[in-house]
Amino acid sequence: MFDVPDFFGWLTEAANWEGRYGIPNLLSEHLRITLVSILLAALLALPIGIAIGHFQKGASLVVLLGSASRAIPTMGLLFALVMLLGIEMRDAAATIALMTIAFPPLLTGAYAGFSAIERHIIDSATAQGLTRWQLIRLVELPLSYPAIIGGFRVAWIQVVSTVVLAPLVGLGGLGFGIIQGLALRNFDQVVASALLIVLVTVIGDQLLGFAQKSQALRLGNLSGGKIK
Amino acid sequence: MNWALNNLELVIQLSITHLYVSLLPLLIGFVLAVVLARVVPERLVPSVTGTLGAIYAIPSLALFVTLPVLIGTNFVGPTNVLIALSLYAVAAMFFFARDAFGALPKATAEFARAQGLSPLQRFVYIELPLALPGLVSGARVTAASTISMASIGAVVGVRNLGYLFLDGFQRKIADEILTGLFAIFVLAIAIDLALWLVGKALTPWRRSINV
Repeated sequence: MFDVPDFFGWLTEAANWEGRYGIPNLLSEHLRITLVSILLAALLALPIGIAIGHFQKGASLVVLLGSASRAIPTMGLLFALVMLLGIEMRDAAATIALMTIAFPPLLTGAYAGFSAIERHIIDSATAQGLTRWQLIRLVELPLSYPAIIGGFRVAWIQVVSTVVLAPLVGLGGLGFGIIQGLALRNFDQVVASALLIVLVTVIGDQLLGFAQKSQALRLGNLSGGKIK
Repeated sequence: MNWALNNLELVIQLSITHLYVSLLPLLIGFVLAVVLARVVPERLVPSVTGTLGAIYAIPSLALFVTLPVLIGTNFVGPTNVLIALSLYAVAAMFFFARDAFGALPKATAEFARAQGLSPLQRFVYIELPLALPGLVSGARVTAASTISMASIGAVVGVRNLGYLFLDGFQRKIADEILTGLFAIFVLAIAIDLALWLVGKALTPWRRSINV
């Protein structure tokens, strides 16, 4: 057998829970930079995705952006932006890099949700006398919630994974324990930090998955159990 | 641009490693996903989907350094990266493979059975060729994300194109980082094109119907 690092011992060591590089502080940094970037990206991506989905114009742009973004290494994007904007501006640079990563899935989610709505639903809503704005707000948007939340799910995974690399460009977050631990060959710290990261990521993903499922179920009940 | 030309040898060397650590997992992931999609019984599909989805949600650097604890490998070096990227590739490809096989018309399988083909023959001669277009487009998506994700392997000591990010940042050479970004993008496009051509070559009957 091989030596299993004593990550549990590291996790229960009081000193690792205090100060600038303590677990609570790194965790809150990690969540803050992730959530701020995703929310800022959503402020841009959702209105654009909704507009493209509603008017059904510019769909090829969404598809192109979605496939091109997969080929761009998130690590390189983060490093390049911090380098180009300067290490003093690293907070802003990282936020822009992470927003760039979150943008395509959020856009695709909103667009996909709006595009999947069947024509007759929109026609009957229009026939009821709904204005364009009411149609978007009362019909199309609620029907798109599962797809929009799906976009947030992908964005969450990609951004939260990239933030793990943030310590390499002088920022904080839970990745610090992996980077420092690898450099110091302190594998207790490496594994403990990695497990914390996995825990945070999977919990966030499962919460969003739960929200997605309950929205889909709610819509299914409204339409008599039939939902695509 | 000058930086890339002056260090062409290094860039090529790193690109070769990069191709190796992304294409091998892609191949392993492709084969495993196709097999899984075919052998997992219907009632187990939700749990397999859930497990693969959870694997996909794990940040790559975290998985690279957790694998040594699970399987006893060394913390640095390519083995963890190869295994982790294979896991991600299986997770991504599985969904495409299921869709590709699920979209096959039911009648084809029944005709094949009526002709006396064994399940294995049916899979090799009927289902696999018909599912190829879907499998290839899944492989193209998986390839792009595997190639870009492989760069993170540089953090645990795999000298691939991701090394240019780390080294460029430490030595404050912006051109080096941009070279890395560009090289990875070119690799991704090249592999995408190659897979598209392979897909076309393997499905000659589709040429006549113009797709």
